[in-house]
Amino acid sequence: MDFRKLFTRKTKSNNIATQRLQLILKQDRFEVGEDSMKKLQYELTEVLSKYFEFTMNSVNMSLKQEGNSYVLIADFPFSESKNL
Amino acid sequence: MGKVIVITSGKGGVGKTTSTANLGTALAMIGKTVVLVDADIGLRNLDVVMGLESRVVFTSMDVIEKNCDLDKALVKDRRVEQLVLLAASQRNRKDDIKPEQMQDICERLKEIYDFVFVDSPAGIEQGFHNAAAGAEEAIIITTPDVSAIRDADRIIGLLQNQNIEPINLIINRLSPALVKKGNMISKNDVLDILNIDLLGVIPEDTGVIASTNRGIPLVHNDGSPGAEAYMRIARRMTGQRIPIPEMRDDNFFSKLLTWFSRNQ
Ligand SMILES: Nc1ncnc2c1ncn2[C@@H]1O[C@H](COP(=O)(O)OP(=O)(O)OP(=O)(O)O)[C@@H](O)[C@H]1O
Ligand SMILES: [Mg+2]
Repeated sequence: MDFRKLFTRKTKSNNIATQRLQLILKQDRFEVGEDSMKKLQYELTEVLSKYFEFTMNSVNMSLKQEGNSYVLIADFPFSESKNL
Repeated sequence: MGKVIVITSGKGGVGKTTSTANLGTALAMIGKTVVLVDADIGLRNLDVVMGLESRVVFTSMDVIEKNCDLDKALVKDRRVEQLVLLAASQRNRKDDIKPEQMQDICERLKEIYDFVFVDSPAGIEQGFHNAAAGAEEAIIITTPDVSAIRDADRIIGLLQNQNIEPINLIINRLSPALVKKGNMISKNDVLDILNIDLLGVIPEDTGVIASTNRGIPLVHNDGSPGAEAYMRIARRMTGQRIPIPEMRDDNFFSKLLTWFSRNQ
């Protein structure tokens, strides 16, 4: 007989805490990341503008979650290419 | 040339001021020159924890407003040599001070002292930004609970954006008995989640309360587990290779449990 079992009926609360934290932090880091996304979109547009002519306000970037990782999806529809 | 280290946490009440007082005192005890800067303007506490409140005449605000010279505002600790405090103004507000002013004070202090510790207020607002403004390194204090760790993660992100490096961690108020019973997040789980380097672990120690009551930092009273943990961290900060011990739980009940499971 395992004497420890007598004292641990429920799932250990530290395991619950760790699991909750992992979920909370994933969400927190994602939200904070959205600010950086705006900056990235601005900087990418600036670089790409050297080579492409973009139609106004057509740029679209997003981050999608797939399982444990994220996918960066960027749409830069252009009307004309420059210097290519 | 010394270094400026901000001691911060996000969440309030996790032990920033206690750690600033004890680490500063510990480093001075092993021969370093140390200045403690209270950046918690309007809610100052470091002077009280250090037991120096009756000798504070000028504050960092007086230095900024040029009411006095910087060295006149530094209060000498009489128990250890080469340890001084720069108190915060109690009648001002966090945004009465500008980041550049804080930065200027830190720049001047690090030319004289080996360690400039800045005790940050809780939160992520102006007060935190001022405290971090002059810092090149950071020590994050967290307790092993969900809220404190969540806030620590947010603060780490903000400090990384300011290129503050290294950012090291102190886990405070860990109770080995609770970890063992599965009722407290363990040191390794905190490290997995926050993913920064560990400077040390301070156990829950009732001596902290008595030491705050007396205004005598715990490290003066050697032998207590908290004091020893702070002394080890101080030595580590001077480059000595001091291993972080696994905390033993000396509680009678848990010894009995271990004995039972070994002898079944
Ligand atoms: N290792 C410890 N064991 C027991 N009590 C502790 C420990 N560390 C801190 N405390 C207690 O926790 C309380 C808060 O500590 P402290 O003032 O250092 O936190 P803080 O992070 O500076 O708070 P604030 O955010 O308000 O500035 C104090 O009453 C202190 O005595
Ligand atoms: Mg404090």
